Amino acid sequence: MDLGQSITLSALGVHFLVGLSRAMILFIVTSGLSFVLGVLRVPNVAHGSLYMIGAFAAFSLNQLFGGGTAGFWVALALSPFVVAGVALVAERTLFCHLYQREHLMLLLFTFALMLILGDLVKIIWGADYRSITAPSALEGAVPILGSSFPKYNLFLLIVGPLVAVGLWLFTNRTKIGKIAKAAAVDREMVDAMGINVSWVFAFAFVLGCFLAGLGGALVAPTISITLGMDHDIIIEAFLIVTIGGLGNMWGALIGSLIFGVTQSLGVLFWPQFAIVFPYLAVVIVLIWRPTGMLKSVW
Amino acid sequence: MGKHRTQGLKRGFRSGSLALLAGLLAVSLCIMPLASAEAKDIKVGIIDCYSGPPAVYAEDALNGFKLALEEINKEGVLGGKITWTNRDTKFKVDIALNMAKELVMREGVDLLVGTINSGAAMAVSTAVSQKNKVPFFVWISKSDRITGEKGHRYVFQTGENSAMAGKSGAVALSKKPYVKYWIGGDDYEYGHSIADAAWRNLKAMKPEVEMIGKSWWKPGEPDLAPYITSIMSAKPDCVIFCTGGRSMTNVMKAIKATGMAEKFPIWVHTGTDHAVLKPLGTDAPEGVMGTMDFHFYYPDTPEHNAFVDKFKKAYGEPPGFPAFHGYITGHFIAEAYKKAGTNDIEKFIDAIEGLTIDSPVGPLEMRACDHQVKLPMYLGVTKMSEEYGVAISSEIQTLSGDDILPTCEEIQKARGK
Repeated sequence: MDLGQSITLSALGVHFLVGLSRAMILFIVTSGLSFVLGVLRVPNVAHGSLYMIGAFAAFSLNQLFGGGTAGFWVALALSPFVVAGVALVAERTLFCHLYQREHLMLLLFTFALMLILGDLVKIIWGADYRSITAPSALEGAVPILGSSFPKYNLFLLIVGPLVAVGLWLFTNRTKIGKIAKAAAVDREMVDAMGINVSWVFAFAFVLGCFLAGLGGALVAPTISITLGMDHDIIIEAFLIVTIGGLGNMWGALIGSLIFGVTQSLGVLFWPQFAIVFPYLAVVIVLIWRPTGMLKSVW
Repeated sequence: MGKHRTQGLKRGFRSGSLALLAGLLAVSLCIMPLASAEAKDIKVGIIDCYSGPPAVYAEDALNGFKLALEEINKEGVLGGKITWTNRDTKFKVDIALNMAKELVMREGVDLLVGTINSGAAMAVSTAVSQKNKVPFFVWISKSDRITGEKGHRYVFQTGENSAMAGKSGAVALSKKPYVKYWIGGDDYEYGHSIADAAWRNLKAMKPEVEMIGKSWWKPGEPDLAPYITSIMSAKPDCVIFCTGGRSMTNVMKAIKATGMAEKFPIWVHTGTDHAVLKPLGTDAPEGVMGTMDFHFYYPDTPEHNAFVDKFKKAYGEPPGFPAFHGYITGHFIAEAYKKAGTNDIEKFIDAIEGLTIDSPVGPLEMRACDHQVKLPMYLGVTKMSEEYGVAISSEIQTLSGDDILPTCEEIQKARGK
């Protein structure tokens, strides 16, 4: 057991940063899940599939636009919209008929949708591993605190807060955002105000899925894009939403930070058992605050 | 009246047919030795995963096998042909077992071949192959327990296994000056067994080596940056990664993104595999040591190139390692039947033990003591290739099967004899 060996302040700092950058991806994905959960009360198990589609769409768009730097930015900009399109179709044809059902039904339905989307991805893109390259400006590493830190993770550290601020502005400064927020608290009342709740819901769902797609496109250059990505993220995403407070956007941020940073620091302190740390954090949070860190909207 | 007549007719028909039968019997008795030696086809039942991500490998292996059968069936084996039928295991152990039983009981196959899933291979090996005395050739899955600890008379492995993989890393690294090692890998059986085999053998060959740390992550872990940075901050002399499947791409990407390969020597088993390097494109890190039992571009010999060209012509893509395993499986089966000169399974096994066949990579022997093919392993370093537009293995050194296989004594010990 070499616990504590070779842990310096600089290693601690770098690991904290690496954890933060992972937390940013988790936040972008889970904020979408949390938004859908809060406004629509739908525990969308297929959210991970949309994240996977985002990554695969990024791969195809990147190829279509000749790869390289231009290909990457185009893919990053467009693939969330591809996912939003898929989500819009799913919402208008399937979800909009099901909002009044029980949660268990919705859980089963979205689970089925996850399997279907998974198979669709296999039919369209096949079972091969795919990969896209980060633009040259974001390739390689920079020295930070005496260790090398991947430039792409720095980029994620910038994008994450931008998305958070954008979401905050959207829900607090725009009319549709405010309506969506109001619908999350009391949908009958919003309906009674003469607002077409159906389209507010559609919009909220599409926005949530857009974030899943954005997460998928952002993560694409750092991993192999492959079937099974959906399962990996969805469990973590639900855990984060639970510890953060169901449907609470800031809860999603706090949950992601807890998850990402405990994982990263766990790797530093006890690499053999690093897998355990984020889940341990989840258990501790849930014992301490059974309804999550922040106020749950449920 | 009518009743009697029909009875009479029946009797007449019966005695007539009896005579006919007797005649037929006599004729067939006369020609029997000839017929049995002539018309009996050898039926191979294949169980593998043809759905989901592993399907890529299973199809590749099947294509290699089909190519071998095309060559073999031109002249035939024991006067007949080798035919095959396959079943999808869906990567599930229970389905694999049912399919294997169905192939043996209902289809009446002479041999079983498969699969990519180690768990399924182990289950079929003991519960179907050993129990029913039907030879089973494992061609993709890499568990060393198949021909090691759990090996028996009826099971064969025509691909490399994790013990060979680990030992080949140890052989390669023992010649290098590194002392302080860090091992990282996927937290599942394959990762651990490669790590154990590599470390056990390295320590035996070079006792002064020291393990300064280990990292285990879940298979397919999307974010390896924290693991890589922590390894780098510990400053080992050399890093060993034991990953498989989609973690291969993830770990290679993380090595590139953190610039690890420029600062540390790294060995990743199958890090030089085309299936890993091709999707990475220009994202592949250069200078990573890898070991692999098949490259379609090496060795540059006429036999090897002929195999690759033939495969490309038939299936449009160069063969991967499963295709190579499938191809030699076909030829081992055919040669063993030819040597045995009979369809008798026990004689077939006696014939295949110690049998050497010609293969695209030179002569290959089926070791008698554990039924493991003595495959050579190619140690190389990743390098971008202008010819292929992706990274390939370069500065290749060949490690012979004898050097990297566990010894027969070790096998006996593992089997508790």
